[in-house]
Amino acid sequence: MEVVLKSLSKHFTDRKGNVAKALNDLDVTIPSGKLIGLLGPSGCGKSTTLYLIAGLHKPTQGQIFFGDSDVTNVPPEKRGIGLVFQNYALYPHLTVRQNIMFPLENMKMPKDEAIKIAQEMADLVDIGKLMDRKPKELSGGQQQRVAIARALVKKPRVLLLDEPLSNLDARLRLQTREEIKKIQRETGITTIFVTHDQEEAMSISDEIILINAGVFQQMDHPQKVYDEPANLFVAKFLGNPAINIFHGQIKTGVLSVNGVELDKGFKGEDRNVVVGVRPEAFYLDNKGKIEINVEFVEHIGRDITVVGNVENQNDSKVRIIIPSDHYNDVFDKSRLGFTPKRMYIFEETGERIK
Amino acid sequence: MLEDKKDGWKAAIALAPAMIFLVVFMFFPLVNTTIMSFMEGFQFRANAGIFAISHRYQGIGFQEYINVLRDPIFLTALKNTMVMVVISVPISVILGLLVSVCLNNIKRLQNIFQTIFFLPYVTNTIALGMVFKVMFSTNNGLINLIVETFGGDKIAWLTDATTKGYWSALFVITCYTVWSGLAFKILVFLSGLQSIDKQYYEAARIDGASRARVFWKITVPLLSPMIAYITITSFIGAFKAYESVIAVFGRGSYIFGPAGDTNMWITVVGYVYKLLPSLMTPGNLSKASAGSVILLLIILAFTGIQLYVSKKRVHY
Repeated sequence: MEVVLKSLSKHFTDRKGNVAKALNDLDVTIPSGKLIGLLGPSGCGKSTTLYLIAGLHKPTQGQIFFGDSDVTNVPPEKRGIGLVFQNYALYPHLTVRQNIMFPLENMKMPKDEAIKIAQEMADLVDIGKLMDRKPKELSGGQQQRVAIARALVKKPRVLLLDEPLSNLDARLRLQTREEIKKIQRETGITTIFVTHDQEEAMSISDEIILINAGVFQQMDHPQKVYDEPANLFVAKFLGNPAINIFHGQIKTGVLSVNGVELDKGFKGEDRNVVVGVRPEAFYLDNKGKIEINVEFVEHIGRDITVVGNVENQNDSKVRIIIPSDHYNDVFDKSRLGFTPKRMYIFEETGERIK
Repeated sequence: MLEDKKDGWKAAIALAPAMIFLVVFMFFPLVNTTIMSFMEGFQFRANAGIFAISHRYQGIGFQEYINVLRDPIFLTALKNTMVMVVISVPISVILGLLVSVCLNNIKRLQNIFQTIFFLPYVTNTIALGMVFKVMFSTNNGLINLIVETFGGDKIAWLTDATTKGYWSALFVITCYTVWSGLAFKILVFLSGLQSIDKQYYEAARIDGASRARVFWKITVPLLSPMIAYITITSFIGAFKAYESVIAVFGRGSYIFGPAGDTNMWITVVGYVYKLLPSLMTPGNLSKASAGSVILLLIILAFTGIQLYVSKKRVHY
């Protein structure tokens, strides 16, 4: 089921009449049968978007379409969605089986059939043997699966997951995100999940939608978003360690940072610009264009992270990732070269130039 | 170990005021009353102290219990109390629950409604009884005015000594009991409802549950600890009914009915109260004690059964 959001806005008004614009004019088309990650920092409006699609919030403005049908004013129970809440919201007094059967009973399905379907769904998410337990007798990961089973059991047209991995420990998170991907592939249901964790979004999404402060930033395949960020926010938000930022100038079409010429052929007036270079684009090179004062070196195992600063660029640290073999080549002052492909140039307002 | 001992002392000091009051005003009277109930013809002697054992009595045994159980007035009191318990407790619990759910669902004026429902809790019971007496008075009471508006005949709510009067008086007493007890129940239920995670309701909504199913499958089970607590305390309160009868008849603390039958709605507590010595009568302390102990045993038995049932039925 394709989900189309048309200039969707949600404003919250508090008692004093202050308006908070949680979401502003969002226009996206979410393709059918794909796993989509809604990514953004905390409070950016991504959960609001999810609840708008679910129907739990009413939009201030704009429309929501499932396929060709306008569901903007359709109540949540009639939209045919499954929602997995951040803290799962499993009914604590019901067993796993009763939790999964709850939506089916609401549809007045005969009991035998409901038990059978609930069991199938539980087997799909690998909790088939825990059917008689209460939620509090399950681990976080198992509760998560029950919540997914309960959302899937009524065969929703769209599955929505709110921060599905945030309550799990690091190891379980890796495992569960693979499971979510697997379940989504097997069922083929259009799935939208919300996350503030870029790694989570990058690793399993077919496409990522980036939102910041209620405003749409970019939507594309995870690798494309990383390789071709639409603006400074996207470039800064994706990538760990974060992209290195330098302040440079364009003068008569020539870009330079600290007086070192990096690129040329730019149009427009002379102005200050922002240059971003990914940490992995750097390499040690005695003839390199950038010199850094190395502060310390972090060991990750396979790679090392060199942390340092650059003269006249005191507002940002430089972090580079190089293979650990080069550890002995790092000195207090090291010169670096970088792959131009991984260099991005932005206006000071954030728009990408190149 | 040393630390533990220190903490133990601190705890003891903190608990002491409450413990002293409990011992002096609860445990000691309880034991003393029980002892008195086995002492036939118990009477206080001047300067003999507060311990029952140091006073005058004729013999020791179950005679006073037999006397109480053979007393037709006690049997009337027991029957009346049971009728009031069986009728008023379910009505008040269910009504309290419904009002709380409604209050919890309205957004505007919630505080005003909460205050209105809470008023009886902070108002004097006897004053409330006076209001009821006036409202249900036969000749110019508000209720009879309404009855007449709808074409009915005047009803002698509180002044009829016949069987019909028995039931009409019960109606008034039940109204009074339910209404005056509602405030506390609403207070407990509302705080219980507000502590239920809203996400359960959102989840149920998305799962397509009807309002009735949400109430029975989610609200009631998640509220069941509060429902059990309120039911048990309501039962205990209803067994101890006394001032509700006194308040609605409003004819003095020994009169439990209209002119023709002053024991019409006597309760067990009323029965015990009547047996206490006063300026008018020497009373019968042994019999009163025996009556109290019987009431205590009945309440204990009921509470025990309810705790057992609620352990099986109350979720999580």
